Amino acid sequence: MIAGAAVVAVTGCVAPAPSPGAFEGKAVQTAKAALSSVDTALLASATAVRGRLPQPYLETTLSSAEDSLSSIQTAFDSVQPPATATSDRLRDTLDTLLSRGSDGLAQLRIASRREDHAVVAEATRSLQQVADGLDRFEQEHSG
Amino acid sequence: MKQLLSVALGVLTAIGGFVDIGDLVTSGLVGSRFGLSLAWATLVGVVGICLFAEMSGRVAAVSGRATFDLVRERLGPRAGLANLAASFLITVLTFAAEVGGIALALELASSVNYLLWVPAAGLAVWLVIWRVRFSVLENVFGLLGLALVVFAVALWKLSPSWSDLAHQVLAPHNPSGEGLPTYFYYAIALFGAAMTPYEVFFFSSGGVEEHWTKRDIRTSRLNVFVGFPLGGLLSLSIAATAALVLLPRNIEVDALAQVGLPVAVAAGKLALAAAILGFVAATFGAALETGLSSGYAVAQYFGWQWGKLVRPREAARFHLVVLASTIAAVATILTTIDPIKVTEYSVVFSAVALPLTYLPILVISNDRDYMGDKVNGRVSNLLGSVFLVLVVVAAVAAIPLMLATKAGQ
Repeated sequence: MIAGAAVVAVTGCVAPAPSPGAFEGKAVQTAKAALSSVDTALLASATAVRGRLPQPYLETTLSSAEDSLSSIQTAFDSVQPPATATSDRLRDTLDTLLSRGSDGLAQLRIASRREDHAVVAEATRSLQQVADGLDRFEQEHSG
Repeated sequence: MKQLLSVALGVLTAIGGFVDIGDLVTSGLVGSRFGLSLAWATLVGVVGICLFAEMSGRVAAVSGRATFDLVRERLGPRAGLANLAASFLITVLTFAAEVGGIALALELASSVNYLLWVPAAGLAVWLVIWRVRFSVLENVFGLLGLALVVFAVALWKLSPSWSDLAHQVLAPHNPSGEGLPTYFYYAIALFGAAMTPYEVFFFSSGGVEEHWTKRDIRTSRLNVFVGFPLGGLLSLSIAATAALVLLPRNIEVDALAQVGLPVAVAAGKLALAAAILGFVAATFGAALETGLSSGYAVAQYFGWQWGKLVRPREAARFHLVVLASTIAAVATILTTIDPIKVTEYSVVFSAVALPLTYLPILVISNDRDYMGDKVNGRVSNLLGSVFLVLVVVAAVAAIPLMLATKAGQ
């Protein structure tokens, strides 16, 4: 019973952020998790370009990264931000990066399946910019 | 010569059989977040599993009876039932994680969604348990699991600074950005993954299935003291490759695909194919062990006929429990719950249940009525007592740390 209660407590709905500081902390955690998904896709794609990753493995890795980023964005968007202009700006900045990341991952997955190397290169460049943006966001707002 | 081959086979099987989905995911995850600074938790867990697996193997060889058979008799029906309930639930949860692991590994090879593989994986596990001889299932999947040695090869091909890796192991520290509760939460997860209770249920029940006698104690000890530590080295290799390839790129493992990526980066497609084979074999072997262990635990507690050496008709209730556990494991994963999350929870809840498994083993292996002159020596008792304190501390701290860190987030 204790185990069940623990799982419910850990996996339950995300509570609204109680303060601007807590909301910023939540945003940093979100950026960190999103960066992990985007960097996974970039590493998988680069390894495939070098001929070191089979197509099924690449497709599975990209789909998994896309799903992961999608659920990260959904969780962040479900948090009610505090009523301050700074929190609204923070939310807009991160949400834009997350949306660009989702679009880039979808583009990369589609292009990889079609083995369209030109679009793969374009999507990779776009995702690298998102990764740099997420990294900067994390650095700027960490402790 | 025949005995030598048997020992070699047993050792190889123990190496391949040590790593399961819990070790794969937890080692990769911890390596990608903490480098090798938590290697000590794996090493402590390996010493613990060696200690208690040796005791349970000796109990099986001397008494001819497996762990749960003696737990009820020695601790009484009430304490035995509480023990059974907790251990059975953890074993079935681990079984579900292993079935999910098989499906995820097959998805990596085929790009067919893992949910479509889950029923096939469950059916294959049940058919193998039902039809295949014990020695065959034990040896084949253990040996195929050895393909995971490719992680050690990948580590070597990555040409790391060995002194830097050794420094991370020998002078552990908590990397900046990770809270101390998170650090210890994952230490407990690694400890729980290494000391998963089903390993001793299976080891002792397997000894009874193979009719071990006092003369087999030496072979059993060799399997334990050589096989499990080498299996632990495989876990450390997985963590080290993740530390070298994923950690510098800010990648935190939350999928099985990420665990294999460093192998592809270091050694290419063939090596990755070996890693996927190792994933399938390790998770399939562990699914067989957890499936059988669920049947062993219930049948031994209630005194039913059990085992693969008797005809299914004569051990119908044992096989019914195995079948029901298989259906429960498959149904759990088919709810679309993330198999990696199931794995993470199963290793932490394993840590919670550790005292229930290991206290009775320590008690029984000191009982002269069962063990005669083969009771624990002073060193075994001293180490056993120290580890009992450790497992109690881990069990008590696991749930509060899980809540405080939101499961290590």
